Amino acid sequence: MEATVLLALQAVLSGILVGGVYGILSIGLSLAFGVMRIVNFAHGELVMYGMYAGVIASRNFGVDPLAILPLSFLLTALVGSLMYQIVFRHFVGHATLQQLLAAIGCALVLQMIAQIIFGADARTASSVFAGEYVVFGPFFVAKVQIVAFVVAALVTLAVELMLRLSAWGKAVRAVADDLEAAEVVGINSQYINIGAFALACGLAGMAGSVLVTYYPTAPSTGFSLMPIIIIATTIGGLGSIGGTFLGGICCGVVQQVTAMMWNSALQDVPLYVLLLLFIALRPTGFFGVRSE
Amino acid sequence: MDAPLAASGKVTPQPARAARWRTLAPYVLPIVVIAVLPLLPFVNNYIIAATVRALIFISLGQAWNIVAGIGGQLSLGHGVFLGLGCYTTGILFNRYGIPPWIGGWAGMLISLAVALVMGSMTLRMRGVFFALATVAVSLALVQIALHFVDLTGGGDGLALKFFGNSLWAMQSRAPAPFLYGSLAFVVAYYWITRWVLASDFGFAMQAVRDDEVAAAAAGVAVFRTKVTGFMLSAAMTALAAVLYMQFYMAIDPEAAFGLSQAIQLQLPALLGGLGTALGPVIGGAVMIFLSEVTNWGSTKLGINGVDILVYGLMLLAVILRAPKGIVGLVFKNALGGSSR
Repeated sequence: MEATVLLALQAVLSGILVGGVYGILSIGLSLAFGVMRIVNFAHGELVMYGMYAGVIASRNFGVDPLAILPLSFLLTALVGSLMYQIVFRHFVGHATLQQLLAAIGCALVLQMIAQIIFGADARTASSVFAGEYVVFGPFFVAKVQIVAFVVAALVTLAVELMLRLSAWGKAVRAVADDLEAAEVVGINSQYINIGAFALACGLAGMAGSVLVTYYPTAPSTGFSLMPIIIIATTIGGLGSIGGTFLGGICCGVVQQVTAMMWNSALQDVPLYVLLLLFIALRPTGFFGVRSE
Repeated sequence: MDAPLAASGKVTPQPARAARWRTLAPYVLPIVVIAVLPLLPFVNNYIIAATVRALIFISLGQAWNIVAGIGGQLSLGHGVFLGLGCYTTGILFNRYGIPPWIGGWAGMLISLAVALVMGSMTLRMRGVFFALATVAVSLALVQIALHFVDLTGGGDGLALKFFGNSLWAMQSRAPAPFLYGSLAFVVAYYWITRWVLASDFGFAMQAVRDDEVAAAAAGVAVFRTKVTGFMLSAAMTALAAVLYMQFYMAIDPEAAFGLSQAIQLQLPALLGGLGTALGPVIGGAVMIFLSEVTNWGSTKLGINGVDILVYGLMLLAVILRAPKGIVGLVFKNALGGSSR
């Protein structure tokens, strides 16, 4: 009995740490939906490019992946604004069938370009914090996971504050609330949209460089991360940054508790059930914007 | 000016037989060409097998076209029904010796039940949530299929026991019998789509696709129409899955429920023209032709994944440049409506 409780607490603890990283993986998707109603299925691919940036930094230049966060941000923000100019600017405002399919097309193209450049094998990066564990009482956690969680929480906080306090953030929220009214008071919504989309994509790349400190990457990793990103975003609420971060933590806890207490091969199945329940009963998640 | 033209049309009617031939020829000719394909001198098993692949994906694309093209609901997880059809027939045959003639109907019933549950949980919502839910269900099924190794063979997949050429087991060493089976599916699904497009039910689906609020105001039972369309599409996919399973003789979780398979189920309708009966037929043929060419090209170049890159570029090109597909480009001026 005692051991079961300890195991459960350990599972919740590592769930929170993993979940924080799921949170930072997801906030970009949530932002793009909240401002432009774009569901970017290529979000995971940008995470994957951020992970490869971390791999190259640590393998070829001996730099810790966490040190190149601004660089990964710029790289994927650039890819994101290209994507916006070519594809997504045609679909702002409505998450239509065409928009979702176009995003899937982008995802396939980005994934295959990565496969042609980097090959299909999985690669790892090494962080200075790797391999060290912190023990307190009966619990232990890997140091990289603590660092990744802290970085994720700080980035989320920074984005949330920027959207709430800065003039640019207020303009973004104005466009998200009512595009026409925002234009009437002199906000150029095209500039705001492309900036917000670049920010969303840059966050994806940055999250990738955080994740790669303890998780290997392959060209298919981006697509395989998408379910958890979508679930975290839906549970937390599409469009809400803080809510999405909490949604990520929920996902992490459910996943780790399932893996440790029941069956690690089926660790994601309860998440899919949770997603279906949220869609059926509360599609705005905990803190989401109204969907249509 | 109009009156004399109309009158002259009346006084010189075309001979009935010629007129009927002219309307039927575009349908009969391709069927005859495909039916005599194995008899032609230059045709080998490779060409027949590629044709069968095209016909199978035309059938599957036609099924997806019902829910997405006519109904406007983006199911990203139609692999669910392909997989359920394949696994059900395969497991019933390997374990209990039940032939696919019966197993296929079992797979269809299971798919109907799953579609009913999925549809009633998610189709009340507008927009993206239905799409997200279909992704979730298909990915959950990947994990479940990987986990229950005894039943599904896990990641190695499920291979049908081979009994040699047998009509009872729907098995054949040569691809020619599948040519006729898949041709029958294509013809039947084409006519089902034509029938749906012309029926009250089809009009209700199109009304819901174009404007849900207006459809509801006009007395269409929006939710019931969406769920029924989804179930019809699921049942058609699961039945065509029998053909897929018997032709490929094996299925694995990624090929069944994976997202790249789901995209292959969508491309025929997207390339050919969403919401038209002719679209998936043309699109499926184009898709298989292009994938054969790029497969050949990528083995020549020694680079993997070029075919999927081409799929992605095709998807983007169609959506950005030709949202009505090949049919929309060709018949832009000739046809006003989308009844073909």
